[in-house]
Amino acid sequence: MIGSLAAAFSLSMVPAAFGGVTWGILGGALPGISPSITMALLLPFTYGMDPTAAVVLLASSYVGAEYGGSIPAILIRTPGTNAAAATVIDGYAMKEQGKAGEALGISLYSGFVGGLFGLVVLIALARPLSRMALAFTPMAYFALGVLGLSVIASVSGDSLIKGAMSGLVGLIVSTVGTDPVTGLNRFTFGSPQLLSGIPPILVMVGLFAVGELLAQSGEPGWTPATGASVRIRFPSAALWRRIAKPQLIGSVMGTIEGVMPGGGGTISAFLAYNEARRWSRHKEEFGKGSPEGVAAPEAANNTLACTALIPMLSLGIPSSNSSAVLLGGFLIHGLVPGPLLFVQHPDVVNGLYAGLLVANIAMVVVGYLIMMPCLWLVNRPKPYLTAFIYAFVVSGVYSIEASLFHVAVTLGFGVVGYLFRSLGVPLLPMVLGVVLGFMVESNYRRSLALSGGDHLAILRDPIAAALLALALIFLVTSIVRHLSGHERQQARR
Amino acid sequence: MKDVGFGAALLLLSAGYYALAAALPETRLADATGPDGLPKIYALLLASLSLMLLVRSLRERHGRGDEAATSSRLHPRVRSAAGTLAIGAGYVVLAPWLGYAPALAGLLFTTAWSQRTGGESLGAVAIVSVCGAVFCWVLFVLVMGIPQPPGLWRRLL
Repeated sequence: MIGSLAAAFSLSMVPAAFGGVTWGILGGALPGISPSITMALLLPFTYGMDPTAAVVLLASSYVGAEYGGSIPAILIRTPGTNAAAATVIDGYAMKEQGKAGEALGISLYSGFVGGLFGLVVLIALARPLSRMALAFTPMAYFALGVLGLSVIASVSGDSLIKGAMSGLVGLIVSTVGTDPVTGLNRFTFGSPQLLSGIPPILVMVGLFAVGELLAQSGEPGWTPATGASVRIRFPSAALWRRIAKPQLIGSVMGTIEGVMPGGGGTISAFLAYNEARRWSRHKEEFGKGSPEGVAAPEAANNTLACTALIPMLSLGIPSSNSSAVLLGGFLIHGLVPGPLLFVQHPDVVNGLYAGLLVANIAMVVVGYLIMMPCLWLVNRPKPYLTAFIYAFVVSGVYSIEASLFHVAVTLGFGVVGYLFRSLGVPLLPMVLGVVLGFMVESNYRRSLALSGGDHLAILRDPIAAALLALALIFLVTSIVRHLSGHERQQARR
Repeated sequence: MKDVGFGAALLLLSAGYYALAAALPETRLADATGPDGLPKIYALLLASLSLMLLVRSLRERHGRGDEAATSSRLHPRVRSAAGTLAIGAGYVVLAPWLGYAPALAGLLFTTAWSQRTGGESLGAVAIVSVCGAVFCWVLFVLVMGIPQPPGLWRRLL
């Protein structure tokens, strides 16, 4: 493992990792800018980069954003990212006790530990999982796409119907362009710019970044951060020993939730917080400024930043918004995550691993140095921040193919993202539909061509049948869990 | 009420999409499914789910007195979002004529000014916008070599 990391290490990834982490910390520190938005803003600028440096840049910004979210959580009681919500509880209490620097140090150090733990798990699991998938036929790929779409059931939040509708809208978007089998133009309305379809990157930047901009435009600004002289203080030896257990708990929770589709950073952070409290010798301190209450969720967040890449890299299935954006980063460089990625582009995969290692080290260095610029940025008037984010979106999207049509399409998806947010419709199912739609349709029709039009041939392929059965089990359990949760809610009313 | 609107809108979308799929020309290269096969299935599934949401929402609609208050509270936010979108649309229209830096300065100024919270003066917003546009032009065009809309005036030079 160490040998392949050393071989994959290249000097070009160091600036990418440091740049990504810096961007991620700044983005994560801004309340309302989630890791996926931070990454989506960066996505268009990776277009002209070396593929390995591009994916390292994006993955590093994910790592940085997970730590960045804890800065406003600790200083102004406002989580910079959803996953940092659990950090608010004890982090802000520590700040009130004059221990803001210590809380930030625990957050940074725990994020580093969690990140390394997650990286080891990622390296250990992703390749074996992908090796299994090397025997895939078009039928199996179709079934894999269906399995990926079944994730919609677990990421649909309160409404399964709305989640499924969002996924179908994504599938509809994926059919725009030239038909994969006959070459016929579909739903292009005579526009030559739509012949190659709607690039997923436009959908992601539109839904996540522009949608959030539109949603934030009517919201008041956040409270300015006080304590401009905060200096990060790394934990003492005694504190290191004390927070080791909650860090391990957080890392395990981050691993479980990262591998599970739709788990998400918020769930893993709160699970880690609860478990750390349960196993702590100082339960009474939780909620009143416990260092363990900061260490567990922060370790979980950063573990998840690596483990969420396992299903994305090995099977091509993104399990969270951020991994979906990273998938977009792979796609714009012609790299298709999944089993063949490990065979055709092992340099990129190993480069990503090495880049993540550098990113976790960079997080400690940059996180320590960037405190003052972060506070300065968080204290800028919100109208200026919004205006500059908008400027980055239009500049970045234009740069992909020097096309203002792309900017207009992105704004259109921004409206969809805004409406979906306002109506409580989850965005990830739509992204899954857009990303997996082509894979499902092209492989389904290829399977039919291979079997002479026999639809049931898919069920005779053992891998395809197993994957479809897995998708069915996943779908049914998600629906049952959803319905039982709904019933519990009704009973409480 | 929101769900009723969402359900109705997606029902219309599915109907329109089905009609477009059905209108796709036949081709000799078509396979067993055809280029319209899966689109029609997607349209039918979306129509079914939209109908389910519509029926469920209409049944739940009774006994909700706070809907009007909620929707009236939403208005300023919707207006604000529409304004922000219009600024982006304005950039798309004007950038080919004005060029990157002037159009971006306009976008920065109108976005920041429309969302000002009271503390920012017109002059300060203008200065930040112009400096911001110059910064972006230097960063993207000069340093990173990323092409941006050149504008009509560049072609005249």
